[in-house]
Amino acid sequence: MTTPQQLVILMQRVARQDRAAFAELYAATSSKLFGVVLRILRRRDLADEVLQEAYVKIWERAADYRPETGAVITWITTIARNRALDEARRKRPDSVEDHPEILNIATDAESALAAVMRGEDGQRLTDCLKRLEPARRDMVLLAYCEGLSREELAEKYGQPVNTIKTWLRRSLIQLKGCLAP
Amino acid sequence: MINGDDIDGLAAEYVLGTLDQSERATVTARRQREPALEAAIIAWERRLAPLADAVVPVEPSPDALAKIESRLRTRDGATDNGASVIQLKKRVNAWRAAAMLSSAVAASLAIFVGVREFQRPSTPGNLVAVLQKDAASPAFLVTVNVENRVMTVRPVAAPAEPGKSYELWIVHDSLGAPKSLGLIDGPGVKVKPQLAAYKPDVIESATFAVSLEPEGGSTTGAPTGPVVFAGKVIPEGK
Repeated sequence: MTTPQQLVILMQRVARQDRAAFAELYAATSSKLFGVVLRILRRRDLADEVLQEAYVKIWERAADYRPETGAVITWITTIARNRALDEARRKRPDSVEDHPEILNIATDAESALAAVMRGEDGQRLTDCLKRLEPARRDMVLLAYCEGLSREELAEKYGQPVNTIKTWLRRSLIQLKGCLAP
Repeated sequence: MINGDDIDGLAAEYVLGTLDQSERATVTARRQREPALEAAIIAWERRLAPLADAVVPVEPSPDALAKIESRLRTRDGATDNGASVIQLKKRVNAWRAAAMLSSAVAASLAIFVGVREFQRPSTPGNLVAVLQKDAASPAFLVTVNVENRVMTVRPVAAPAEPGKSYELWIVHDSLGAPKSLGLIDGPGVKVKPQLAAYKPDVIESATFAVSLEPEGGSTTGAPTGPVVFAGKVIPEGK
């Protein structure tokens, strides 16, 4: 297990174009990143491609990473996630119907929340998520973790897209208020 | 439809991932030039980051690293855009190195300093920095010409506060207390000749800070108000 501090040192070496450090960073983070992009893209071939692009970008932008703004893992996960979301929105993703397991997250939300809670900063977020109505909490999880679009959420919840958008924004405002110090 | 005023809502949905393709593209472009949006996005990334722990890790293909390294080698061989990218990286690295070595004074200010890279080229030999505490704070674009020791300060997003003035300071171990470089009053570019008193090596390694002072500036000769930014200049194009 690589500690957050070790990851910062690795990133600083990667910023100096250190290929060995890059391989270490990859070893320490690639399964997390691949999990994230695979869940969003739902197809291994697309996820393979996006993962490669993400690590090329991480290599190129390593010098931009600033420890003050957050953990290394957050920074690199964000790069991969953004790339995956761009791809998911660009291509018509596979229908949710082809991936029935995605529709089951509601029953699985408790274990998802338990996993979030185990993380360092996850406790507070979990507490705040639990204050949302269950359906809206699941919507946030489905959007963030599974990459569901507004349209897909509208289909799943039988609501107009604009209603979904309103719900999402309200949920996010509520989360922000709950997380505020 | 994007509501231009709801920057935080837009940032939140961008990070959540529910914007459609054109909205995402718009945000990707806007965040480059809108510090407030960029900061809101970063704040949301931090808020929601623990959710990624809900996703079970999956091992990528065994050959993925080799493919990535192969792509990197191909890129390194490219000569067209490669040079400017590397130059940009070196510049950022120079900044980062400077930031790590920043003086105890700057450290004690304990503030977060954001640096934005320039898109446009400028005169070689200049020292530059764009400094900003966070998106809610004013940003200042600082250019120093070491040869003639003239500093140009341009408030980028620094709304004048009624009854307050921004005051610029130079901080260096050899100077003892911070020394005032004068007020940055009003919008527009201010050319500051006050650096003439300082040696180039002091200027190059000094920390520059802007504090918010009572109108007309500090009367004590030292910063009295909140420091809204502090940072170092870096050689442009080095």
